[in-house]
Amino acid sequence: MMHCTMDDLIALRDGEGSREAQRHLAECAACRAEFESLHQRGAALKALPALRPPRERWSAVRAEIEGARRRRRRGVFAWGSLVAAAAAVGVIGVQAARLRSAADASAADLRALVEQSQRLEEALRAYDPTSRVLNGRAASAVAEIEDRIAVIDLGLAEAQSGGASRAELLELWRQRVQLMDELVRVHVTRAAYVGL
Amino acid sequence: MLAALDDLAIQRAKTGDLEALEQVYRAYEGVVYTLARRICRTAEDAEDVLQETFLEVCRSIGRFRGTEPGSLTAWIKRVAASKALMRVRREKYREADDLSDGDEVLGRRDPDVALQLDLEEALGRLSDRSRTVVWLHDVEGYTHEDIAELMGMTVSFSKSQLARAHSRLRGWLGREPV
Ligand SMILES: [Zn+2]
Repeated sequence: MMHCTMDDLIALRDGEGSREAQRHLAECAACRAEFESLHQRGAALKALPALRPPRERWSAVRAEIEGARRRRRRGVFAWGSLVAAAAAVGVIGVQAARLRSAADASAADLRALVEQSQRLEEALRAYDPTSRVLNGRAASAVAEIEDRIAVIDLGLAEAQSGGASRAELLELWRQRVQLMDELVRVHVTRAAYVGL
Repeated sequence: MLAALDDLAIQRAKTGDLEALEQVYRAYEGVVYTLARRICRTAEDAEDVLQETFLEVCRSIGRFRGTEPGSLTAWIKRVAASKALMRVRREKYREADDLSDGDEVLGRRDPDVALQLDLEEALGRLSDRSRTVVWLHDVEGYTHEDIAELMGMTVSFSKSQLARAHSRLRGWLGREPV
């Protein structure tokens, strides 16, 4: 056999070397020196000093967590007041059922959307925000969707108190349902890739 | 380095208690930063990875079920490695020019400089992949299977990157490292 390659030496070190390589190593001083050097390099790598972060990053982490918690709380609260507002303007509840003629169809649509949004919100509650397993991309997707929902909720609150047209309301609720749906999907399909 | 993190603190951290989470951060910031710094190209990137890692740890620790001693460390390191790899991939994408075998070019251009390199400099000269593989395998004790999964490559590719890393280091440092 010719001299050991680096592959051979590493395989020998890691207990996967071929019998042929083992035999060669026993006979060849040059390869034994390289083998010893490989061990030393490994030891030197392990002996490199631990490093300290130049700045502390905890305050940034903490701020981000607190921000997310606040957003979350606000989201739930906004939802509660929206349902109340929707009920007050007759979007949901008994009065909506009594609406007549052309308005009936869109009233039913609206009611359906509100209920759908409500169901999605409940599905979402199953995911505790502090214990989500999200990779970086999913986490930023969630943050983005939550921000967009917050904007729509503001629009809805305004529209419902300011007497917006039913078409406008319908559109806002449709967008909200779509975003909620995306949000639920992100959570459902999230990859538990970090190996919990 | 891992002092003063008792089971109680871990239990409290799992409930989202911010003070307990801070204790986890203090106990592990060095470990995470060191790992990130060995994989990433710059200290700034490693700092960002430190932050991203703990954000993830804070979000996910409630679901952490490990009870073996050292399992929390292993899990946090894994989160850190995965965040660092994401960062390296992103940087690579941005600096596509540096991609093509940066180590080879350097090695060819000034072979004599090699003799003066110390181990840390030599590590920094390796390609991102070689450096990551040699660090995760030889220092952190990851298997090639672990590395392959983490980096989205095959086991044989991980093995070849390890051999490549050692060949380069051997060439730059001579037979006696340090
Ligand atoms: Zn030989």
